Amino acid sequence: MSQRVRVAITGIGMVTPIGNTTAETWAGLRAGKSGAGPITIFDASGFSTRIGAEVKGFDFENAIADRKLLKLASRSHRFALNAAEQAFADAGIRPTAADAERWGFVVGAGMMGVSYEELESVHRHAAADGEFNPDGLLSPDYPADPIAFCRTQTNTGLSLLTKNFGIRGYATAVHTACSSGGQALGTALKVMRRGNVDAMIAGGFDSMLNPIGLSGFCLLGALSTDNDTPERASRPFDGTRNGFVLGEGAAFLVLEKWESARARGAMIYAELAGDGNSLSCYRITDTPPDGDGPIQAICQSLADARLKPEDIDYVNAHGTSTMMNDRSECVALGAVMGDHLPNFAVSSTKSCMGHLIAAAGAAEAAVCALAIRDGIAPVNANFATPDPQCSNINLVTGQSRPMRIRAALSNSLGFGGSNSSLTFRHPDFVEA
Amino acid sequence: MSNSPRIAITGSGAVCGAGLTVEKIWAAVINGQSAVTPITQWDAARWPVKVAAGVNGVKNQELVEDRKLHKSISRTDIFGIYAGGEAIKSSGIPSHRETLDAAMVPHFNDRSGLVVGSGGGTYSSNYEYFPLMTESGGDMRKFGAELGSSVNPMWLLKNLPNNVLCHVGIRHMFKGTNACITNQCAGGVLAVAEAAESLRTDEADRIAAVGHDTPIEPETVFGYHKLGLLSRDVLRPFDRTRSGTIFGEGAAAVMLEKFDNAQARKATILGEFLGHGCVTEAMGVVDLRPDGDGPARAIALALLDAGITTADVGMIVAHGNGTPASDASEAKGILCAFGGNPPPVTAFKWCVGHLLAASGILDLVLAIEALRHGVVPGVPTLNEVAAEFSSLPVSRDPQRPRSDVALVLCRGFGGMNVALVVRAAKP
Repeated sequence: MSQRVRVAITGIGMVTPIGNTTAETWAGLRAGKSGAGPITIFDASGFSTRIGAEVKGFDFENAIADRKLLKLASRSHRFALNAAEQAFADAGIRPTAADAERWGFVVGAGMMGVSYEELESVHRHAAADGEFNPDGLLSPDYPADPIAFCRTQTNTGLSLLTKNFGIRGYATAVHTACSSGGQALGTALKVMRRGNVDAMIAGGFDSMLNPIGLSGFCLLGALSTDNDTPERASRPFDGTRNGFVLGEGAAFLVLEKWESARARGAMIYAELAGDGNSLSCYRITDTPPDGDGPIQAICQSLADARLKPEDIDYVNAHGTSTMMNDRSECVALGAVMGDHLPNFAVSSTKSCMGHLIAAAGAAEAAVCALAIRDGIAPVNANFATPDPQCSNINLVTGQSRPMRIRAALSNSLGFGGSNSSLTFRHPDFVEA
Repeated sequence: MSNSPRIAITGSGAVCGAGLTVEKIWAAVINGQSAVTPITQWDAARWPVKVAAGVNGVKNQELVEDRKLHKSISRTDIFGIYAGGEAIKSSGIPSHRETLDAAMVPHFNDRSGLVVGSGGGTYSSNYEYFPLMTESGGDMRKFGAELGSSVNPMWLLKNLPNNVLCHVGIRHMFKGTNACITNQCAGGVLAVAEAAESLRTDEADRIAAVGHDTPIEPETVFGYHKLGLLSRDVLRPFDRTRSGTIFGEGAAAVMLEKFDNAQARKATILGEFLGHGCVTEAMGVVDLRPDGDGPARAIALALLDAGITTADVGMIVAHGNGTPASDASEAKGILCAFGGNPPPVTAFKWCVGHLLAASGILDLVLAIEALRHGVVPGVPTLNEVAAEFSSLPVSRDPQRPRSDVALVLCRGFGGMNVALVVRAAKP
C-alpha cells in the first residue's frame, strides 16, 4: 500500500455556549463551567423545558467583515462564519487566489432553515386562521424579497463560507442529525487522503434554540426538564440523568497535509488519524442496548488510525445525558476496549456545553485536539450518583485530569442511527 | 486511479413524474413525452407558475407498503425509500445474501454501505405549527403550554433530513459506512461520488447511493420565481428562447459494487463508474460565474479521476436546467473543457423536470440507459440553439454516442459543479 496522506490539525475556531473563542471555551471546559441557563432568546416559559445552552454576548452584526454576505446569514451561519475565521487566524494560513482550487470545505449543517420570524411572516400572510392558503404568498404586502429564500437553502451555510473565504475546491455539506459534525470531519479526512485537495476546513454549525427546534425535542421528551437547576441538568453517565440540554454554536478545524504543515513551521495540535462510521439499523431515535452500530464505528476508527485499544488514553464520549444513549455507549466501549477499559479516561463535554446537535461532533473533535495538545482530559461535570450500568468506564469526575494523551477518540451517535467515531493522535506519538 | 478497484453499477431505481420505473422514465424521454403538467399539489390557478412534473395519482402505499412508517416520514422520504429499495432489489444483492451461510451475514451487512443525497426538508413541514400559532396569537407562553395538544409528537422525526438513510438502512440491513449529503442540487451526485470512493478505499464491498427531493411546494416555487429561475410553460435547455426551469420531484438510486465481486456472483452489470470531479465557484448562494469555470474544472477533474481523455467521452448529459445564466455558462464550460469539439450533448429536465437533490443521480441512471440503447436522446423542446454557444452539439433529434462512456454534469446553489463519468456494459 502506498504512503497515505497524513492529516494535521493546525487551526481551531469555536463559538460555543461556554465562550465565543476557542481559548474561552477550552478554559471553561477545563474548569467544568456550565453554559446552560434559562432560555433568553425567546419566551420559553410555557414549554416543558425552559433551559438551554445559549451562545452569549456574541456580536452578530460583526461576525465577519462582509456586510453584504452577513445579510444572508442566519444565527447559526454567523456562528459558523466567525468560528471559521478564528480557525484560519489560529492556523496562520488561509486560501489565496493562487491555491483556492486546492482548498476544500466540509460542513455538518443543522436542519433548521427557516427562522421563527420568517415562519411568523408566512403565518401572518398565508395562514392567519391556522390553515395554510398558498395564495397568501401572492398578496402584495407579503415580502417578495428573495433574500429570505436564499437564507434558508440547505447549503446556504456552505455557500456563504466558501464565498467568504474564497475556497473553490471540493465542497460539501452533510447532515446526519447529532453525528453531522463527526461525519463532516470524517468526510474531510477521506477527501484529503484521496488527494482531491491539499488543505481543508471542516466543522459544523447549528442552532435549534428557537420555538420550533425546542418544540421538536420537547415533543419527543428528549430534553432534561430540570428547569430550576440548569447548570446541573446535563449530567452524562450520572444515575439520575434525565435528558440532554439543547445547545448551539459552531466549531471548525483547519486540516493540512502533515509534511506541508511541518514545512511551514505550523503548530500541530494533533493528527486526525482515523474515521469510522456505521448505521445501527435499529430504531430512529434509539441506540441499540447491545452497542451494535457504535461498536463497528469505534473498531473501524481504530483500525483506520492503525491503533489498538491500548493506544487510546482519552475518549470524548457522545454522552448526551439521556438514559439510553449513555448506557449503550458504555456497552459499546466495553465491547471494543475489553481489558483496557479502566486505563483510559472518558468524559462527555456535553456536561458543560450542552448538545450542539449538528455542531457537536465538530466541537468535540476540537476538544480532543486541545486535550492532546495540553495533556488534560476535561472534566465530565455534574457527576454525583453512579449508574451501575455506566460504571465500567473510567470517568473524569470532580475536576479535569492532567495526563499524557497519546491518542483520543470522539464518538457521535445520531438520530437515524448514524454513528461516527474519530481518532486523534499526539504529534510526538505520530513522529516517534 | 490505476490502483483502485473497478466499480460496477449493478442496480438502479427511480421515480418521478414520468414514471415509477427506470424503463417507464426512459420510454418517456426517448419518445419525447414530457411529464410537465398543471400543478396539483395546491390550487395554482392564480400563480404565475402553474406547471411542474409532479408524481401525480400515486398512493404512498404503492411505493412503500408499510403504512405505519408513513406516519413518521414525509413525502420526499417515501420517494427515496422506494427508489433506494428498487436499486438494491434489482441488483440481486438481497437474494444473494440469502444464499450465504448465516454466520457470514453480519459481516456482509457491515460491509454494505449507504449514501443519500437529501433535499434536506420542505418549507411546508413547519406549517404543522400554524394552528398553534393562531391559537396562541403571538403569546409564546401559550404556544409552549399548548404544544403537546396541537402538534404531532413525531414532528421532528418526520422531518429529519436523514430519514431515507435511516429507513433504507433498516429495511435492507445496510449497516456499513454511510453519509447523508445536504448540498442542495449536488446531493445526489455527491452521494454517488462518495459511495464510489468508499469502494475504492475498501470501506465497503457494496454501497447504494440515493438522491431524493420534493421542491413542488408553494414557498419553493415562490422563491425560485422571485429569483427569475422558473419557466411558465416549457423547459427549453440551451434554446435561444429559454426562460427558466420547471420543478420535478422524486428520487433515483444506483447500487455500486466492487467489479470483481459483482462478476463472481454473476450479477447483471449495467455499467462501470469511472470517476468524479467536484468544485465550487464560491460565488455565494445563487450567483454563478458567466465563464463556465465551475463546469470546466469539474469535467477536467472527473476525466483525470477516470483516467480518460475528452476523446474517450461518447456523450454528455448536461445539467441543462433551462435558465438563461446556467445554460450559457454550462455550455461555455463544456466547450472549453472539450476544446470546442464535444461529443453529442443532451439533457433530461425538459421531460422529468428539475428534481434538485435527485436531479443529477436521475440523469446518471438515464445516461446508463442511453448508452445501453446506443442513443443520445433528442431534446424535443429545443427550437434553436442560442447563438452565443451555437457550436454546442445539442439537438432536437436523437444522436449517436461516440463511445460507451457518458459524462453527467450537475450544478447547484453555492456555485456547486459536479461531473460523473460512467461506462455502460454491453447489454
